[in-house]
Amino acid sequence: MSRPQSSGLTPGSALRPKLGTSGFIGLQLGLLAITILSIGIAVSLGQVEIPLSQSLRILLYQLTGITLDGNTDFMQGPGANIIWTIRFPRVLLALLVGAGLTLCGTVMQAAVQNPLADPYILGISSGATLGATFSILIGFSFAGIFGQLGLAFWAFAGAFGASLLVLALAGLGGKMSSAKLVLAGMVINALCSAFSNFLIYFADNAQGIRSITFWTMGSLAAARWDMLPLVIAAVIPASLLFLFQARILNTMLLGEETAVTLGVNLNLYRRGYLILTALLTGVLVSACGMIGFVGLIIPHIVRALVGSDHRRLLPISLWAGGLFLIWTDVLARTIIPKTELPIGILTALIGAPLFMYMLIKKGYDFGGK
Amino acid sequence: MELDVKGLSVSIGRSQIVNRISLQVKEGQFVGLLGPNGCGKSTLLKSIYKAISPSEGAVTLGGTDVLGSSPKKIAKSMAVVGQFNELSFDFTVREMVMMGRTPHKKLLDTDNDADRSIAEEAMRKVDMLSYADRSYLSLSGGEKQRVILARALAQEPRFLVLDEPTNHLDIKYQLQILSIVRSLGIGVLAALHDLSLAAQYCTHLYVLKKGEVMAEGPPRQVLSKSLIASVYEVDCELYDNPITGELSIAYRTGQVASLF
Repeated sequence: MSRPQSSGLTPGSALRPKLGTSGFIGLQLGLLAITILSIGIAVSLGQVEIPLSQSLRILLYQLTGITLDGNTDFMQGPGANIIWTIRFPRVLLALLVGAGLTLCGTVMQAAVQNPLADPYILGISSGATLGATFSILIGFSFAGIFGQLGLAFWAFAGAFGASLLVLALAGLGGKMSSAKLVLAGMVINALCSAFSNFLIYFADNAQGIRSITFWTMGSLAAARWDMLPLVIAAVIPASLLFLFQARILNTMLLGEETAVTLGVNLNLYRRGYLILTALLTGVLVSACGMIGFVGLIIPHIVRALVGSDHRRLLPISLWAGGLFLIWTDVLARTIIPKTELPIGILTALIGAPLFMYMLIKKGYDFGGK
Repeated sequence: MELDVKGLSVSIGRSQIVNRISLQVKEGQFVGLLGPNGCGKSTLLKSIYKAISPSEGAVTLGGTDVLGSSPKKIAKSMAVVGQFNELSFDFTVREMVMMGRTPHKKLLDTDNDADRSIAEEAMRKVDMLSYADRSYLSLSGGEKQRVILARALAQEPRFLVLDEPTNHLDIKYQLQILSIVRSLGIGVLAALHDLSLAAQYCTHLYVLKKGEVMAEGPPRQVLSKSLIASVYEVDCELYDNPITGELSIAYRTGQVASLF
């Protein structure tokens, strides 16, 4: 029986503050408040400066029809349009995608019992890239229905197809072990990347190749109101579902045999969870390209703060992931004047040092308590 | 609860590890499973607690068909202390022990005061209550093993399976764990390494060699110089300890039987 090495990415819990039920509810309400505040501030920041007070009044008026002084002057001019049709859906998308990627990361780390798992581990990233490459370089030249389905569909199909392949490959020859899953993920990754590179190498399409590069770095710039329903329909039910599965996720972390002796048929749940997270990741990837590191780093940071118990870990991670992506997206929009950075670059730039810090910090207190 | 294993065979890959083994654990019996490394002890236990499925045979626990029932149903009455206790993720000792309540919980149930006091009682029994808020991964091997026993106790089992539960333990905790288990008064099936401890604690022994039962019966009937020579390939002397009165075994070093 092979099992992943204990990688030491989960700091000891000796200093973890004790959190009662009321404290936990308070923390949730606090995070909700911070999120609402962040949304308010995030919509007022961007290339076009719109004062915070005006942004908030526009949002308030659009959402509830309330004006503070009976005056709707602030709805005149480009500001109202920018806030309501561009920035607000974008900030909401950031919140949902951040929460969704974190959810996938947390669940996958439990399902494959590997602290290094992230939403893209099961071949999803390379599958999605292959789908997108195909769509950009070849797919659009099809007439009829294939042409109209577009990039989002192909990215989703690639992501989901690749993860089904990984699951099938890992399930060959009886039991699906976490090591087999990770290895199967690597195999499919290599295969899909080879196909994508093949397409790119022989494509005589500089503009297309540039779009692919841009797509693999992720961006929320394409956010529109009509994208939100699908993302909401994927993220909210999945979050609720997994919040209720916390006990089973906990048992998963103990390993296959222990899970069985505690009455959890791990193989069954693992398969189900991985298919669900693959579907969710597929939807998120098709909405905004590949945004790395969020699903890997946020669960680890939150685990370091509140421990591995999913009853606390999951709800707090969801808020943390959403908040992280809202603010990273604000940076992506504003850090370089008149230029929009792909958000994937920033999540890696912020995520990698944070991860490094956790590794180093763990080195100091490991076994010391 | 009574465990009844009939004609159980297990193959892993192409090799048959367990060959038509039948055994019985009656209510309240402490049954030891002995045999050298690789004789199929662990494999037999794993198929009893549903971690692997046997190729043929039947297992019933208190009249319930173990192989045909869901893991959850079996976990409500059977707890397991195994050898597989390393984790990639950390929990506190309390969280680990609380997980013993899992089989008794429905999807939306939350932990209540009864669960918490069961877990505390289990930690107290294995002398780990003062460690409740320590991180599991920071514990020593023996401490981890006691936490795992506490988790099994928190399951409130009516049958206990132990797979070499005293590995890594100081002699104090070896004796403590086996005494706790015996004091539960429930049926126990335990794979054991130490023949003297087995003789001391078990009411009945099964000795395995190459996937088959070589001998069975009460310890004093089963353990003999010739059996130990043929199963473990070592020479020994058995005697009643003049002070404790227990059956004792002295191994003769330098005379490893089959080497000559």
